[in-house]
Amino acid sequence: MIRPMLEADLPRVLEIERASFALPWSEGMLRDDLARSDRVWRVAESGGRVVAFGGIMVVSSEAHVMDIAVECDHRREGHARELLVGLMADAVARGAARMTLEVRESNAEALALYASCGFDVAGRRIGYYPETGEDALVLWSRPLVTQAGAVAAARAGDDLVLAIETSCDETAASVMRGGREELASVVASQIDFHARFGGVVPEIASRKHTEAVVAVVAEALGKAGVGFGDLHAIAVTQGPGLVGALVVGLAYAKGLALATGLPLVGVNHLEGHIYAARLLDGDLEPPLVALLVSGGHTLLVHVPGWGRYELLGRTLDDAAGEAFDKVAKLLGLGYPGGPVISRLADSGDPAAIAFPRPMLRSGNLDVSLSGLKTAVIQYVEAERAAGRELRVPDIAASFQAAVVDVQVAKTLRAATGHRVKAVVLAGGVAANPALREGLRAALAAEGIALSVPPFGLCTDNASMIAAAAHDHLAAGRVLGLSADAVPNLRLGAEPQISE
Amino acid sequence: MRPFLAFDTATDHLALAVGDLDAPGEVLIARDMPAPRAANTVVLPMAERMLATIALAPADLAAIAVGRGPGSFTGVRIGVATAKGLAHGLGVPLVGFGTLDAVALAARAEGLVGVLGDAMRGEVYPALFRAHAGTAARVAPDRVAHPGDVAAEWAALDEPIMLTGNGLIKHAEVLIAALGARATFVPEGRRRPDGASLVAAAWAESGEGTLSAVAGLSRPDACGAAHPQTLLPIYTRLSDAEEAERVRAGRAGTLPHGGVAGPGATA
Repeated sequence: MIRPMLEADLPRVLEIERASFALPWSEGMLRDDLARSDRVWRVAESGGRVVAFGGIMVVSSEAHVMDIAVECDHRREGHARELLVGLMADAVARGAARMTLEVRESNAEALALYASCGFDVAGRRIGYYPETGEDALVLWSRPLVTQAGAVAAARAGDDLVLAIETSCDETAASVMRGGREELASVVASQIDFHARFGGVVPEIASRKHTEAVVAVVAEALGKAGVGFGDLHAIAVTQGPGLVGALVVGLAYAKGLALATGLPLVGVNHLEGHIYAARLLDGDLEPPLVALLVSGGHTLLVHVPGWGRYELLGRTLDDAAGEAFDKVAKLLGLGYPGGPVISRLADSGDPAAIAFPRPMLRSGNLDVSLSGLKTAVIQYVEAERAAGRELRVPDIAASFQAAVVDVQVAKTLRAATGHRVKAVVLAGGVAANPALREGLRAALAAEGIALSVPPFGLCTDNASMIAAAAHDHLAAGRVLGLSADAVPNLRLGAEPQISE
Repeated sequence: MRPFLAFDTATDHLALAVGDLDAPGEVLIARDMPAPRAANTVVLPMAERMLATIALAPADLAAIAVGRGPGSFTGVRIGVATAKGLAHGLGVPLVGFGTLDAVALAARAEGLVGVLGDAMRGEVYPALFRAHAGTAARVAPDRVAHPGDVAAEWAALDEPIMLTGNGLIKHAEVLIAALGARATFVPEGRRRPDGASLVAAAWAESGEGTLSAVAGLSRPDACGAAHPQTLLPIYTRLSDAEEAERVRAGRAGTLPHGGVAGPGATA
C-alpha cells in the first residue's frame, strides 16, 4: 500500500535511508522537505510496516525524483515501482509533464526499474557523486499524463490497447479493452511467400512486415471503430523472435508512441502465448504450467502468478514445429509440415515403426528432437535402399506419436511436480489433435485441466500481446523510446537501458 | 510555418533535420552523428530532443520525410518503419528520398558527383549526379554493382568526377586506378548525409507522393497522395533465398515492388 509520508514515519524512513545510501539525507533535511508545498513524499507499507519511501520535487512542468529507497529485506517485491507509479500520479496532479532523476551508473537494479517504467538516458553528469567520484546518468520519463492515465485505466480494467506483433512471419495487430475484450484482431500471414523455401526466410519476413504493418494496424483500428486518440497505450512484441522482423514492429510502434504521446508496452512473445489461454478462459488462474510448442520454441514454464515465470525445460535442439517441418520436407510433403503430417497420421499406424523417445527418462524436463528427426531420416534411407515403397502415413503417425509421447510425459511430470490444477498448451503446434488429446487424457487422469486456446490464438497473433500488455500496464511497466528488439528475450527478463 | 521532420538511418551515420513545408530549402535545425547499429535506440530520443530545442512537439509536424536507402537492409527498415509509425500516428503524409541523393548533396560540389554506397559483400550502390548550385540531378536509378564495373563505366564518361560515399572506405583504389587524375574526393568527414542535405534531398525528389508534390495540398489530400502505407525501402537486391532461386532458374529480371518476388515466382 502506498500513502503520503507523515512526520511520524520519519524514524523508520531514516532507518531505511541510512541503510541504503553512503550519504543519507539527514532528519532535518527530510523534516523540512516534508513541510514544503512543492514536494511530495510517499511511503510503501507491507504488513503494516513502512518498507520503502520516495519523494519528488515539482518545478513548473518537471518532477524531479529526489529519493527512492527500499528496505533490504523487501527489495524485488515491487515497492519501488508502486512508489514510482504513485509519485507519477502525484506529479500529474501538480501539473508536471515529465519526470527526471539522476542515478548512479553502477546501480543496475535501479536502472532496470527506471527502464521498465519508461525512462530513457538523456545525459551524464561526470563525477556527480562526491563520495566515489562516480558519474550519474540523467534519466527522463515519457509523457506523464498519458502514462499515469493508462496505468489508472488498466487498474480499472478499462484500458484500450493497440498491440502489434511481428516476431516471425505474421504481421498482426489487435485492439483490446481491459486485456480480455477483443475489439479487433487482424493477422496477415506471409506463409505463401516462405513456403517454397521450406521455412521462414528472415529477410523476406522483415520486408513483408515493412510493407504490411500500416495497413494491418489501420484495419484493426477500423474494425474496432477507434482512432489513435481513443487508445491508452501501444503494445508491441519486443522478443524473442527474428531480430529483423521484431525491429520493424518495434520501430513502427515507437514512432506511433512518439507521435501520439501514448505509453509503449513491450511484451515477451512467449508470455503472449501463455496469456492467449486467458482470452479463451477468463477464469483461468495461476499457478499453472504452460507447454509452448511452435516452429521456433519448445518449452515448459511454471507460472506461479500472472507475469511470473520459471523455465522448467526446453528443447536442446530443434523446436517441435521445426521437427515436423523437417520430416515433412524429407517426405516431400511441403511446408508447413505440421498440418500435413497430422492429417496423414490419421490414416497411419502410430505403432508401425518404433522411433526413439529421446530423453523420455532423462530425469529433467528438457527435450531433444533432432535425434528423432535423424532416426526418421535413417529409416527412410534404409527403406529406399531396400527398394521398398515408403508407407508415408505410418511414418507420419509413428513420428508424431514419438513427439507426443515425450511432450506428454514431460508436461505431466512438470504439472504434478508443481501441483498445479491447470496446464496451458500454446503455440502453433498446439493445433495438433494428437498432442491435444494425448495431453488432455494424461492430465485428466491426474485431475488437471488442460486449456488450449482456439487455433487462431495458438498461432501468432496480436491479441495475446494485448492481453499480456494489460497486466504490464497495470503494474506500471512501459518502455522508453530507446528500447530495442531483443531476439533472445527471456521470460521475465528485466529491460536493459542504453545511453 | 508547417514543420516536417526528415531523417536517415540507412548507414552507420544518423542524420536528422526539420524543414518547413512553406519554405522549400529552409532548415530549422539539423543534427548528425555516428550511430553504428544503434539507429533504433537513438533516432527517436534524438528527434524528440531536437524538436524540443526549437520549441516544437511531435504534434506540430506536418509531414515526415525519410531516407529510403539503399544501405543496410535493417538500417533502412528502421528508418522507414519508424517514419511509418510517426506519420501514421500523426495523420500526416510520409515522403521519401534517396539516401545517396542526400550523400551527393552533402558534398556541396559542382559538376559530376559519383556516390558509392557500401553494399557489403564486395559490392557497392553506385549513383551519379550532376551537381550545380546546391542541387544534384540524378543520372541513373539506384542499383547494386561490382566496384570494378562501376569504375569502368565512370572512366568511360571521360569527365572529372568528385567521389563520395561510405563505399570509398573499401573501394577507393579501384576507382583511382580507373579514373586516375579525373577522380577527386570529398573530404572524409563529409562523405555522408547531414541534416541539411536530407531536407534538400527531400525537396529534390520529383513525381507522385513526393515532398514537392504534396507540400501545397491540404493535409487530407497530402495524406492521400503520400500515405504512410505506400512508402517502401529501396533495397536493390532480393533476399539471398530469392537470389539463389533466380540463379537456379537462370533469370535476371527486375526487382519487384516491395522487394519480395512473390509466392508464384517459380511458377
